[in-house]
Amino acid sequence: MSNTLKEQEELQKQLRKEAIRKNWKLFSQSKLGMIGLYIVAFFLFLALLQPFLFITGIWNPAIYDPVVGYDKISANLLVIECPKEYPSEKYESYEDCPGPGEVNIKKLYMAPDLEVGDYYDTFIQPAPPSRTHLLGTDSLGRDVFSQIMEGSQVAFVLGLLSATLGVGISTILGTIAAFFGGRVDAYLMRQSDLVLMLPSLPLLFIISAFAELKVWHLAIVLGVLGGLGGSVITIKSQALQVKVKPYVDSARITGGSKWQILFQHILPNVAPLALLFMVFSVTGAIASESVLSFLGLLNIDMSWGIMIYLSQTDGFIFSGLDFWWLILPAGLAVTFLAGGFYLVGRGLDEVFNPRLRKR
Amino acid sequence: MAEYIIRRTLQMIVVFFIFLVSSYLLFNAIPGNAFSNLLLNPDLPPDAYEKVLATYGLDKPIMERVQLYVVNFFKGDFGYSYKYYPKTPIELIAERLPRTLMLFAIVNIVAFYTGFLVGKVLAWRRGSKSETWITVTSVFSYTVFYPWFALMMLWFFGYKMGWFPIGKFLYPEKWYTAPWDSDVIFVLMIKFTAIISIIQFIAYIMTRGIESLSQRRNLRFASLLTIAVGSYFFWNTGDALTKKPYAADIAYHMILPVIVVTIVAFAGTALLTRTTMVEVIKEDYILTARAKGLSQKRIRDRHAARTALLPVVTSFIFTIVTIIDGSVLTETIFSWPGMGQLLLQSVLEEDIPVAMATFSFVGVFALIAHLVADISYSYLDPRIRIKSQG
Repeated sequence: MSNTLKEQEELQKQLRKEAIRKNWKLFSQSKLGMIGLYIVAFFLFLALLQPFLFITGIWNPAIYDPVVGYDKISANLLVIECPKEYPSEKYESYEDCPGPGEVNIKKLYMAPDLEVGDYYDTFIQPAPPSRTHLLGTDSLGRDVFSQIMEGSQVAFVLGLLSATLGVGISTILGTIAAFFGGRVDAYLMRQSDLVLMLPSLPLLFIISAFAELKVWHLAIVLGVLGGLGGSVITIKSQALQVKVKPYVDSARITGGSKWQILFQHILPNVAPLALLFMVFSVTGAIASESVLSFLGLLNIDMSWGIMIYLSQTDGFIFSGLDFWWLILPAGLAVTFLAGGFYLVGRGLDEVFNPRLRKR
Repeated sequence: MAEYIIRRTLQMIVVFFIFLVSSYLLFNAIPGNAFSNLLLNPDLPPDAYEKVLATYGLDKPIMERVQLYVVNFFKGDFGYSYKYYPKTPIELIAERLPRTLMLFAIVNIVAFYTGFLVGKVLAWRRGSKSETWITVTSVFSYTVFYPWFALMMLWFFGYKMGWFPIGKFLYPEKWYTAPWDSDVIFVLMIKFTAIISIIQFIAYIMTRGIESLSQRRNLRFASLLTIAVGSYFFWNTGDALTKKPYAADIAYHMILPVIVVTIVAFAGTALLTRTTMVEVIKEDYILTARAKGLSQKRIRDRHAARTALLPVVTSFIFTIVTIIDGSVLTETIFSWPGMGQLLLQSVLEEDIPVAMATFSFVGVFALIAHLVADISYSYLDPRIRIKSQG
């Protein structure tokens, strides 16, 4: 008896392996899905690389720490005097003076004994990219590349945590609503109406007024709000389609209890859609975190949103591309990671939904 | 059906009641209140703060205030704004709403139309190289970090090139001598846009039945021409002529926000249309249409795209609901003083009557739209209708 049971288990294991292999083959056929996977893997690599660099001592935390690190980057600037009229022989317009490696004597009220032609020894922050700082430093002398790495850790923790929580809640509630129907269904639907009625951004503002939001607080808030809201309705409509399948009826006839049918027959068949939803809601969670940090409402030390917030409050965003390393990397990182998750979701969509496949 | 609507309406009233009470409690639970800064002013006598609180009724216990507020709300009395004192929340909303509606109505119409067209082509050209590129671009604009993107566009077009103004919705110096306030112009512009879109929509419906492609195209072109000539005459005669420069000023300020939000918003529709359309193409009736020997374009536009329109319409309805909610960020970045900014400011300044009024405005809108979406969906898709009856 036990022998056959073991054999059965063995067989099931093999079947599962086979299914995973088949699904992976289907997924890898989708070119865009693979691109998304590469993007996500790249950011995961960045997120894991930073602690590795600190532990092995390649990076000195005093210099490279994304929040409290500081690097003295000194420069010798030639003191010059800007001409009163433009164009002069050296400068085309007002904006060209002082040129690179030069400083205007009018700005040197801190060092009054310097004269034109002298060299002025100073620290420059934000410093442009160099060999020691691949993406330069920000206005406080902190390494931008290290901040990007820290930001991707925050994005992964927040995105995955809130998406898992949200999809967990909405899958359970959605299947319950579909399975029991009637009053339970009406209650759950009106509950998600209530959540949908509240404007999301102002609501998060109010919540941030109550408590200092840390990363994982925000993940829970976003997860619960997302899980109670519109996704319950979508999951419910999917569960309704599963509910009328013949195997659910046969399970009922053979004497399966309500909860057994719910958890063993309906839930596993809703799960693919739920997984899909999860991948898409990671995109939303990353965007929400960035927006909230961008508006300066979160109590997080460092994230991509905060990097953009700082570059905006310091006035670099309107300085054009002169300080591109403060503006472009953070914004592109948010965009690419969110886009990467979206593309992975699309690839998964083609795996789970046979009608979307090419053949 | 009637029974369903009545039951839903009753449930909606209960939900709205809970919504009202819970959001009032939520606002009151925020530490401090709208007048906390009076405490910091050393010139005021010590009892001034208490007096002000008593004037606005904020010294009463919280449960009594909730009761008063809910009763007054259903009587139609929304109180007075704390920050803009003699004004009521209704006056403030009436002042701000046209500005938001004007901006986002145009954005949504343009975004949904282009999104639908792009999505249609995407699904039809499945597997080609152009599909990959358009998809990558759409995904980029769908997931781009919006405030960052908007600021970059503002920097490039507003500051570097100097083509468009940076923020605000008018040049105040042009309006010193204006005999109207801006809302009159906004209402006129909304009416004008609505009439134009209705005419164009009717022309679209009327010409839909015409079989010949070239004839249909010519007729649609003629209708566009009529609208162009008609609007030229409208803006150059009578009352509208004097309002024209002011309307032009507002329109000039609107261009950049409209472009930026459209770029971000169209991609969602395009990707949604593509997904539904790819599913529809697998249906048997498309095969039948092919077997009948119809042209590719005809199958795409008349057979596939029409079915794929359904989820797009649903998402359009839900987008209308989220206009005010979604306008918060856009209006903050472009300093466009509309509903979104009112909502945000009232929440931040704890101007509770205004915040409650805007919240319930958004909430009622969402509830009704959800009901309308449910009902219209069952009418649009016969399969759902049959299921619900049987």
